[in-house]
Amino acid sequence: MSPQTAFWVATGIFILAYVLIVSEKIHKTIIALTGAALMIVLGIVTQEEALHSVELGVDWNVIFLLFSMMVIINLMKPSGIFEYIAIRSAKFAKGKPFMIMAVFSVVTAVLSALLDNVTTVLLIAPVTLLICDALDLDVVPYLIAEALASNIGGTATLIGDPPNIMIASKAGLSFMAFLTNLGPVVIVIMIAFVITIKLIFGKRLVVKEELRERIMAMDEREAIKDPLLVKKSLFVLGLTMTGFVMHGVLHMEPATIALFGAAMLLLISGIKEPHHVLAEVEWSTLFFFIGLFIVIGGVVKVGLIGWMSVKMLQLTQGNMFETSMVLMWFSAFASAFIDNIPYVATMNPLIIDMAKQLWPDAQGVALLQHPELMPVWWSLALGACLGGNGTPIGASANVIVVGMSEKMGRPITFLRFMLYGMPIMIGSVVIATIYVWLRYYVLHF
Amino acid sequence: MKARSLMVPIQSFLRPDDGLKEFVEAIRNARGCEETHGVRSLPVIDASGNLVGVLSMKDILKAAYPPYLYETDLSLFTWDGMLESMTKRILDKKVSDLMTRTVVSVKEDHPLMECVDHMLKFQISTIPVIDHDGKFIGMLYESDLFFAVTNTLLGAGS
Repeated sequence: MSPQTAFWVATGIFILAYVLIVSEKIHKTIIALTGAALMIVLGIVTQEEALHSVELGVDWNVIFLLFSMMVIINLMKPSGIFEYIAIRSAKFAKGKPFMIMAVFSVVTAVLSALLDNVTTVLLIAPVTLLICDALDLDVVPYLIAEALASNIGGTATLIGDPPNIMIASKAGLSFMAFLTNLGPVVIVIMIAFVITIKLIFGKRLVVKEELRERIMAMDEREAIKDPLLVKKSLFVLGLTMTGFVMHGVLHMEPATIALFGAAMLLLISGIKEPHHVLAEVEWSTLFFFIGLFIVIGGVVKVGLIGWMSVKMLQLTQGNMFETSMVLMWFSAFASAFIDNIPYVATMNPLIIDMAKQLWPDAQGVALLQHPELMPVWWSLALGACLGGNGTPIGASANVIVVGMSEKMGRPITFLRFMLYGMPIMIGSVVIATIYVWLRYYVLHF
Repeated sequence: MKARSLMVPIQSFLRPDDGLKEFVEAIRNARGCEETHGVRSLPVIDASGNLVGVLSMKDILKAAYPPYLYETDLSLFTWDGMLESMTKRILDKKVSDLMTRTVVSVKEDHPLMECVDHMLKFQISTIPVIDHDGKFIGMLYESDLFFAVTNTLLGAGS
């Protein structure tokens, strides 16, 4: 195949895959795997490149990090620790309706920063439904608030949201780098979020005094099914988090730390047969990533991504502030309507290519973590993660919440979600814009 | 023995537009012959005689049971009066909203082992029987299957 033909074939596969993923007619994992198979069968990339090349192939760092975190959570779930936290939170809020919304939002945000968003929402939402039934409250605002909080919280850390995991792996950024660069702005956004929901719901939510007794009568200690497993899980989770904080110093990839945590918890949890723990791993998501990496590898190899980066440079004329701002806002709106995983998987090589053109002499870490490039990475992460809040399809956590609410006979329409989500998304990106401008372009620290 | 030989021909049935009240009345009357059949569910038949679903007592309890309790151990945290207030939410539902739509059925001349297979796999105690044109002709009950089995085991009449 001539380079010219290869370019158009790869571009065709890439565009078709994107269109099909957006149309949701066929499951996205099937599309990604078909696209990947075509890229290899048609000889755009070799199997060697697809499976082993750092530049063109599957990013196993991302896959093993996601896999290991899923295993840790699957092992922790039966202990009852998450139900305990949720019931404890509701009692901490004294059964007051707005306080419950605020506390649950903050708990969801914190858990989302440490675990993945979907798991967090899947753990918190059932308790929210129960609490709202006990208090005779409309559960819809609570579920929407939790989905939004989960996307905001997930932005704060390397492991919080898939875009961050992908960016960290590609750019070689550490857990602490994410925490210190994105953590502060996420805290500000979270405070603004709680104030906003206070203004919207503060007066509207009322509960009869006697119903609050139902919450206060709940004994959260009953939720703990296996106290020993709680201790083991918290020990391993603590160790893993410490490992994440130290991984830069230890010269270990986050995936190594996570794999060690997962293996350790498997070993000490005392389960005899790992089959069910492994069966509950979201293989569909993992293989979506695998397929996607190969498809993107194909368009990187034929030069489509390089061509796009040239166009982007022409647009911003190498002005990095402008690049950051355009990227953040474009990413936010793109992520609101399309899956942010394929979006970031495409943008990562594009940004690296752009950096190569700007600093042709730099290589490796000096190139990937060029001081002028750093705000661009943070802008991409902020835009792609926060953008998920714009619509009910913007993030997996939103999809879960909408599905759960529908099952309860309380469907959330696209527009109703957007009515809350879009202003909050725009507000949070405005805060992020000010933050990036102030921190990296005015104060330079 | 075939499914037809143990089946009870259509007696009482529901229409998709019936309400909860009709179901409760019909099932109360149908329980007149409880000792032999143990009726816990009724077929739902549309105007042209097609079987469109089955509504069971369990379906009613399921409708009142919040889905979030299924996959969690949160039932420890339920309260007095919860079942009653949840049940109120289904008051104005129609039979067609509550019934089980994916109905397993057997053809009238199929063997009894197939009926047992369906009852065990799908955890149901009643199976609709259909004729060769797919028309619903009667119900086959777990209790009748049980007596058929035990009769074989212990000898008829014992």
